[in-house]
Amino acid sequence: MTIALEVSHLVKRFGGLIATNDLSFTLNEGESLGLIGPNGAGKTTVFSQIMGELRQTSGTICYFGQDIGGLSTPERIAKGIGRTYQVPRPFSDLTVRENIRVGLMPDSLISMIFGRSDQSKENELGQSVGFSIRDLDKSASELAMGDLRKLELARTLATGARVLLLDEVFAGLTTGEISMISDLLKDLRRRGFTFLIVSHDLPAMEPLIDKAIAIERGTMIAEGVFSDVLANHDVRASYLGDTDVGS
Amino acid sequence: MPEFVERGTLRTMIQACYLAIFAMSWDVLSGRTGYISFGHPFLIGIGAYSTAILSKKFGVPPEYSIPLAIVITMFGGLVVLLPALRIKGSYFALVTLAFMELMYQLVQVIRPDLTGGTRGITGIKSLTRGAEAGYELAVTLMLGVALGLWLLMRTRFGTALWAIGMDEDSVRGSGLSTTRLKTMAFLVSALVAGLGGAYYAHYTGSLAPRALFDIDFLFTIIVAALIGGAGTIIGPMFGAFFLIFLLEWLRPILPGAERYFVYGGVALILYMYQPKGLVAIAQSLRDRVRGDNYDHRA
Amino acid sequence: MTQILIQGMLLSGLYALIAMGFMLIFSIGRTLNLAYGAYLLVGGYVYFWLCQQMGLPQIVGFAGAVTAGVLMGLLKHRLIVKTLNGDHVAIEISTLILAVVLQAGVVLLFGDSSKILLPIVPGVVTVAGAQVTFNILTATLISWAVIIGLYLYISRTHTGRAMQAVSMDAKGAALSGVDPDRINLITWGISGGLGALGGVFFASYTQLYPGMWVAPLIISVAVVIVGGIGSILGTLVVAHIVGFMEVGVSSWSPELRGVFTMILIVAVLVLRPQGLFGREETH
Repeated sequence: MTIALEVSHLVKRFGGLIATNDLSFTLNEGESLGLIGPNGAGKTTVFSQIMGELRQTSGTICYFGQDIGGLSTPERIAKGIGRTYQVPRPFSDLTVRENIRVGLMPDSLISMIFGRSDQSKENELGQSVGFSIRDLDKSASELAMGDLRKLELARTLATGARVLLLDEVFAGLTTGEISMISDLLKDLRRRGFTFLIVSHDLPAMEPLIDKAIAIERGTMIAEGVFSDVLANHDVRASYLGDTDVGS
Repeated sequence: MPEFVERGTLRTMIQACYLAIFAMSWDVLSGRTGYISFGHPFLIGIGAYSTAILSKKFGVPPEYSIPLAIVITMFGGLVVLLPALRIKGSYFALVTLAFMELMYQLVQVIRPDLTGGTRGITGIKSLTRGAEAGYELAVTLMLGVALGLWLLMRTRFGTALWAIGMDEDSVRGSGLSTTRLKTMAFLVSALVAGLGGAYYAHYTGSLAPRALFDIDFLFTIIVAALIGGAGTIIGPMFGAFFLIFLLEWLRPILPGAERYFVYGGVALILYMYQPKGLVAIAQSLRDRVRGDNYDHRA
Repeated sequence: MTQILIQGMLLSGLYALIAMGFMLIFSIGRTLNLAYGAYLLVGGYVYFWLCQQMGLPQIVGFAGAVTAGVLMGLLKHRLIVKTLNGDHVAIEISTLILAVVLQAGVVLLFGDSSKILLPIVPGVVTVAGAQVTFNILTATLISWAVIIGLYLYISRTHTGRAMQAVSMDAKGAALSGVDPDRINLITWGISGGLGALGGVFFASYTQLYPGMWVAPLIISVAVVIVGGIGSILGTLVVAHIVGFMEVGVSSWSPELRGVFTMILIVAVLVLRPQGLFGREETH
């Protein structure tokens, strides 16, 4: 099996605060890894470092064996990593189609100015996340939360991402929307995409991941099969607080 | 049409055309990407001064001095403003404001033999004879700029600039180098500003630093773009004509600088009421009359 | 040399006072109040109107100017900042428009020509060969008194500490029971008062004319940018850098007086965007 993403000894300091503390993990191609931990554990910070939005203090990030720790965000995206945000960030005055179009754009001014947009590719991507052709001409500002998550996925897929980092992908969704997104992600897993998923909704996340790691204050406290990680004493302590654990 | 209007009105129309060019230039950068430039008079000034100095002091004919002035504007603007593009939000506005003020001071002290110092330059060669020809030139320029920008903004590049204005990080997150996009937007904006500035210098025939590198001038450009409707092509043109004619109409009632009291008041209220400008107001009125759904796009 | 030192010291005190009010607003809401210079304009003209046109005592002039500034600050927050819901771009633009409107309003009421504001305290003293007017000396002393008072207010009182909290993290402050809206309103009021007071002194130092708001705005911008957001110490230090630089440069080449200030802003913004004394913004 090929290793898609390998993070080793990652450290991020903000002044005196250690946001990521010697974190290491590997993610094989086609695999799905859950990243759990209480609020402020530093999950999003890990995402930002993998994407290059934040520069790590030390440690390496390898993508298919190549060290990408020094590349810019667009360069990493060009390699095939993409992320979604905890709070969806659509281009709200653009239509769904135009949002996807931004994701599809090559990072070259010449082809942006003189090239044409590929309508059928846009349709295909939109439909692959469950939009109808009619939906594509809606303004992103009209979309409900579930549709915004779909839009973010479509835009991320449009960049050609093979490894998807999903941040709180179920937050703010209704039960119906959760199962819709969940089905969509299962479908993408079957198609061979690799995932790193952060979610507070542990039951919804369970069927989507192969293994999990738990972090607290930037430090990994458990790693392994999801149920084992959840059963881990430290993980329960960090989630539930000290008082409930002894009972 | 020129035959039927008075000289004065024609001159007002010419003013409006140039203001429209400046406002469109501002809008390509600031209206689209949300990076507010308070330094546009700086760019326009480079264009105007370059052609004026080249043609008056060095005898370069306007057909060369104007293109040269445009290149100088793009280059000069790029050299000084490129670092500013790394800065976000309010800080960008401040750097550009500082540049305008810097230019105002420098123009007066550095090589006053060329720039004319505080008094500026007069007697810049006119390109046209008579108000009608001047009017035709101004309208042609304005429409040419509008068409060019309209074509450019229809491309994916235009969409990407717009997306930067909504969420720059997401554009980066879509794999696009926003610095490159903004630099390009800036170059286009500088090109239009240099072009407008250069032709304007030949039209008025004189330049004075305080009239050019001035907050009132900056204010008029920004307000024209915003009142009309930022992020559109028709908006800045519409805004420029609206404001210039409002000023002209106020002239008999309030002859001095106090005109800006009414003018600015109208602008402030309009802007607070609908930040998307007159174009959006007109559109929503039209939609209401027709009973259509409100369309968010201008 | 002594001359430059003394003049620089005096001018810097005045600049520090002027920049302080601008810094407060910028640090608390990250909003650029481009109409800040208009407080100075209005303060200067209200004082002129009350004292030199109506012949009222100076204390009334000061009270009137400060009241006008505070009122303007409160109104601006209520009518513009709140209405625009913290949209920075929209606030910057509307305050710029407002400044131009107020300038035109002053022209409408007082005319275009510049006015001489009589010295607040007449007289001259010669210190170490330097001519020091009592006027600028008073301005500097009052500036320092106000700055120290402001420092004590911010560090000692409950409201002052709440202002600090909001400036660092508005959401966090709201969670711990501070009403950011009320704090913002108070800050806008204080800022307006400081600006108007600074305006009276600034006008007595230079002169009173409708365009007088631009220069102090640029100076405030320079001081705050170079000093860093939310740092009173930074504001003080940089006000002195700018003040001394202006005095120093103008003794050598008066035309270049402002050039170095602009270069300083641009250089600092490009090289160290958080300012010399500012903390790095986390997001």
